[in-house]
Amino acid sequence: MAVAVEVAVAMEVVSMSDLLTAVSIMFIVTGPFLLVANRYDLPTVPFFILAGIAAGFGLDAFGIADELTLEIAQYGIALLVFSFGVGIDISAVRSVIWDSELAALAQIFVVGSVGYALSVALGVTPSEGIYVGIAAALSSTIVGRGLVQTDIQSRLVRGRLSNSIQFVQDLFAILLVLILGTGLGTGTVGAGPVAMAVGYGLALIAAAFLVNRYLFDAIGRLAGDSDELMILGVVSLLAAFVGAAQSADISIIVGAFAAGLAIRHDPIEYLGLFNGLESVRDFFVAIFFVTVGALITFPFVEAAWDESVGKLLVAGGIVVLTAVVKPAITTAVLLFRGYERRTATLTALSIDQVSEFALIIAIQALLLGQISETLFDAIILAAAVTMVTSSLSQRYDEQLYRALVNRGLLPSAHGKIDAWSDVPDNLSDHVIIVGYGRQGKRLAQTCDDLDQPYVVVENDPARRETVAAESDAVVVGDAMESYTWEKANVEDARIVLSTVASKPVSRRLLSYNFDADIVLRATDQSEARTLLESGALYVSVSELLAGQQLAEHIEALLEGDLTAADLREERQADLALRADVIQHHLQ
Amino acid sequence: MATEVALTVDLAIILFSATLAGFVAKQTGQPTIIAYILAGVVIGPAALGIVEVSELTELLSELGLAFLLFLLGIKMRLEEIRHVLSSIVKISIPQMIAVFLVGAGIAFALNFGLVESVLIGLAVMYSSTAVVIKMLTDKDEATSLHGKLDVGVLLVQDVVVVIILAVLAAGQPDSLAEVATTLAVVLVLVALVTIAALVSSRTVLPVVFRRIADNEEIFFLVAIAWAFLFVFVSDNINLFLEPLFGITAYLSIEMGAFMAGVAIAQLPYSKELQDRVNPLTDLFVMVFFVSVAIDLEAAQLFEYAPEAAIAALVLMPVKFLIFFSLLDWQGFGSETTFLGSINMIQVSEFGIIVAAVAVEGGFIEPEILGFMTLLAIFTMAVSVYLIEFSHQLFERFEPTITRFTSEGDFEGGKQEYRDHAVVVGYDEVTQNALPLLAAHYDDVVVIDRTVEHIETLEAEGYDAVYGDFRNATIRKDVAVSKADFVLSSSVDPAVNSVLLESVDEEATVLVEAERLEDARLLYESGVHCVLMTPYLAADRLGEYLETYLKEGSDDELEAALESDIELLDSTGSFPGPGGGTGTGTGTGAGLGAGPGTDDSNGSGSGSGSGNGGGLDE
Repeated sequence: MAVAVEVAVAMEVVSMSDLLTAVSIMFIVTGPFLLVANRYDLPTVPFFILAGIAAGFGLDAFGIADELTLEIAQYGIALLVFSFGVGIDISAVRSVIWDSELAALAQIFVVGSVGYALSVALGVTPSEGIYVGIAAALSSTIVGRGLVQTDIQSRLVRGRLSNSIQFVQDLFAILLVLILGTGLGTGTVGAGPVAMAVGYGLALIAAAFLVNRYLFDAIGRLAGDSDELMILGVVSLLAAFVGAAQSADISIIVGAFAAGLAIRHDPIEYLGLFNGLESVRDFFVAIFFVTVGALITFPFVEAAWDESVGKLLVAGGIVVLTAVVKPAITTAVLLFRGYERRTATLTALSIDQVSEFALIIAIQALLLGQISETLFDAIILAAAVTMVTSSLSQRYDEQLYRALVNRGLLPSAHGKIDAWSDVPDNLSDHVIIVGYGRQGKRLAQTCDDLDQPYVVVENDPARRETVAAESDAVVVGDAMESYTWEKANVEDARIVLSTVASKPVSRRLLSYNFDADIVLRATDQSEARTLLESGALYVSVSELLAGQQLAEHIEALLEGDLTAADLREERQADLALRADVIQHHLQ
Repeated sequence: MATEVALTVDLAIILFSATLAGFVAKQTGQPTIIAYILAGVVIGPAALGIVEVSELTELLSELGLAFLLFLLGIKMRLEEIRHVLSSIVKISIPQMIAVFLVGAGIAFALNFGLVESVLIGLAVMYSSTAVVIKMLTDKDEATSLHGKLDVGVLLVQDVVVVIILAVLAAGQPDSLAEVATTLAVVLVLVALVTIAALVSSRTVLPVVFRRIADNEEIFFLVAIAWAFLFVFVSDNINLFLEPLFGITAYLSIEMGAFMAGVAIAQLPYSKELQDRVNPLTDLFVMVFFVSVAIDLEAAQLFEYAPEAAIAALVLMPVKFLIFFSLLDWQGFGSETTFLGSINMIQVSEFGIIVAAVAVEGGFIEPEILGFMTLLAIFTMAVSVYLIEFSHQLFERFEPTITRFTSEGDFEGGKQEYRDHAVVVGYDEVTQNALPLLAAHYDDVVVIDRTVEHIETLEAEGYDAVYGDFRNATIRKDVAVSKADFVLSSSVDPAVNSVLLESVDEEATVLVEAERLEDARLLYESGVHCVLMTPYLAADRLGEYLETYLKEGSDDELEAALESDIELLDSTGSFPGPGGGTGTGTGTGAGLGAGPGTDDSNGSGSGSGSGNGGGLDE
């Protein structure tokens, strides 16, 4: 049909480009994969990669080259690193670096070196071994943060710990990108170019701080109330930093990171901007991960038998390094730093995956020709696998921990508890307070006021000194360990008050069958009821109390017993009083 | 040594120039669209020539149009446009015929050939989807009555453009029958896509989105995937048509994107999605506007510049008058008629596409394309100002306008909240407040991000809005600025500060906070009561411990614990029993005398505010 040919010609003007077809295919394929991830409550990143592998076949069917989407994928990388930069809290950096959590660095070096040594021993070239080491050492913030979210919210030590380990790792990853971008890993480059690259990198970061201080607010003022212009301005800023990095011949990733630092700001003032950037990031980051998946030459299906076996062996090696060796080493390092064994194990079990930064580093290395396609594919596959396994290991972490304890694979908890605890021998008829947060402090204060002897049980070494200084007696140990209770002399105690709203902890406390009364904390009512039925004297549910207070205030307001202004005055006075008490207490 | 991970310079230049132009426009009070188009002219081959259209910029500008229509689709709740549907058809068809005749007439008078004149007529019939919808969205008028009319007319035009493109793409038609076939095929396709969208919005989508709505990232990306599914099918329609029916046709990706959006709009989660899609759309549409003028050489662009100016000057008032009389005929009242007409006077970007296809089909010369581009840019530029100041213009000329319009008898628009109660977040704390508020206020609106909560709330008869309070659309939707009572269960300082910015000064505001500093700041910025759950619980526990340790206070303690356990069993949904038991004395004496002096040890689970007393000791 002659018409058809002419239509085809005209279509080129009106029809969409190959690139749009490619992006469409990627998203269409990704949709169902995300539904699966959601159904089983698994992290999205591995499913992006899997979707990418599937979409790869679709793209081939349309005759679209992988390279086409690589350019958009790079915006994904840039935005990913950029938003990491935006999210950095400078004061957190300081406290992490000066705090005891330097453990993170030790962990990176030990795991990285073990990964390097093992891979070289197994016949991987030294220049590629570096990348195996990196893949094994770095853990994923995106996946990890999702996993430990509830721990962070409940302010558990392990939540904070894994969070700051990942943070240090991410900073370290940026440094690696900067250095490896010079081709250092191949051994052909001397110290000169590396020093240059580091110099440029530092200059960019310095520029970022200047922009943050002098230019960012100006952009905010000029944009006025327009979120559109604000986002446009910030994306331009990102392009400028990326361009600067490119012209200085260093990785654009460093530029994107610096750009993130440049717009670091309290999100409250620019809510529209930060919400908007999140959408833009999610869109491009999805394309990045899917592209990464599409780049894989899938073993057996698309590749020859030998090559596939080799690839799977390397991938398997990285999986073992990441999912077995890394948690073991991390646990050991944390134990050495003084964390008790449960916290150390559970923290290690939440960072046992390959990082998205390792993917970025790998893709850069592939583009620079520093690693083979085989190793690249292996790293990506290992990342996808470990991201899924790590959410499983997180889900069953208590069971894994118990299993390790039962097999005697973890050192005894006694030594540390003995060394750090301070409990008078003749203590009896005392109160045991579990957790030294806001509630714990308040309870300890009550005991102090009444001259009632008490012991605080706390598992966070970072709080150890505060507790020791402020209270009579302390056991630094985990409430899940029976030795902790022996140490706190629970047999002679009058009452045990737990301020930790953790289901396993509450259940375990009840299972000990202490003679003392037990008061627990829960976050929801049904859990509270169950605990009461299982023998707790009282279960505190904060929300319930607040709800009751709220209802009283509203009733008074609506019935006209109290004007809004009166209520405010009263509450403010109450707050002032509270502030005084708290300050007095801190002195 | 150079890193190969590199980004294109072209996009960076587009970004910089658009940002620069955008900020200048903002400072001088000009619409940003004009700034973007001008930036495109300046960096394109017509002036500096430093940018070429690359595959990436082409993608982004295509995505811009597709996302714009998708976003528009998300806003189209069928129940809200049903009542204007017949008016839209009655306006759009005569309007296009009239504008076609005038356009072709002007072109012929300007010495264009007969075929050229007809094509120019065909190209100027449409108003610009990109300009009108962008302006309506920026002014937040897309769902107003005139906004809905304009959007409806634009969509009918879109269908027509699709048909015309399909016919033109077929080259010189052999017979009238061929034209008719193409027409029929396109109409059937549009109908099919529409049916697919509507059926899925009743069947698959509610199930799927119900499951993923609680996960922000997945929710957003699956919605985008859904849009791309429609875009892809629309674009590759021939893959299905050719093997099955042996025919080819063309369906615009904008149409597909729009219908994908409409399907989602019927779900309760659409509001939240608007704010997520909006920033991406802004970014992509910017690239679209910049690249409008980026392909053309100066010579082609300016060959017929005087003619374009004359045509523009004639066309704009004519278009306005045609729309004005048609809307008036449909009885929309003077304001809607005026606003709905003034929005639509420009020539569409589709005019450029029609001309481009006609050039490709050998109907006209590239210079005519230049003429159309210039005409479009010129009319868009003028109309953007008129739309920007449409309300002021109406007020200025209202007496004159009403002289020409008939009485408006069309009713529309929805009722708005006023002096109502807004509750941000539904949880164990705020659920106690809802029955109290419902007894006192006509409307109680609850915003929450969890689907189950929304369902519970709706089952209990409250107005529930699914979404994040940080999103401007959501805040507007619940009319938080007109609320008389606002309660927030969020401890996020960002949420609470945005809340304080948007509430009325007279409103009563209760929020939650986690830290003392936050609470102090909140009181300073006008909050009436800050609930601090952790401190409250700590104090309560402290008091109980005190009672426990005191000699001979067993009964007292037992009573206190008992009443708390009772509260627990009451599941808290009825504040009557819970609050009542403890505050039998408290409500009268305790609150009257003011918290802080109330001896809460005595009244058991008495008012939480009695805790101040506990601390005094």
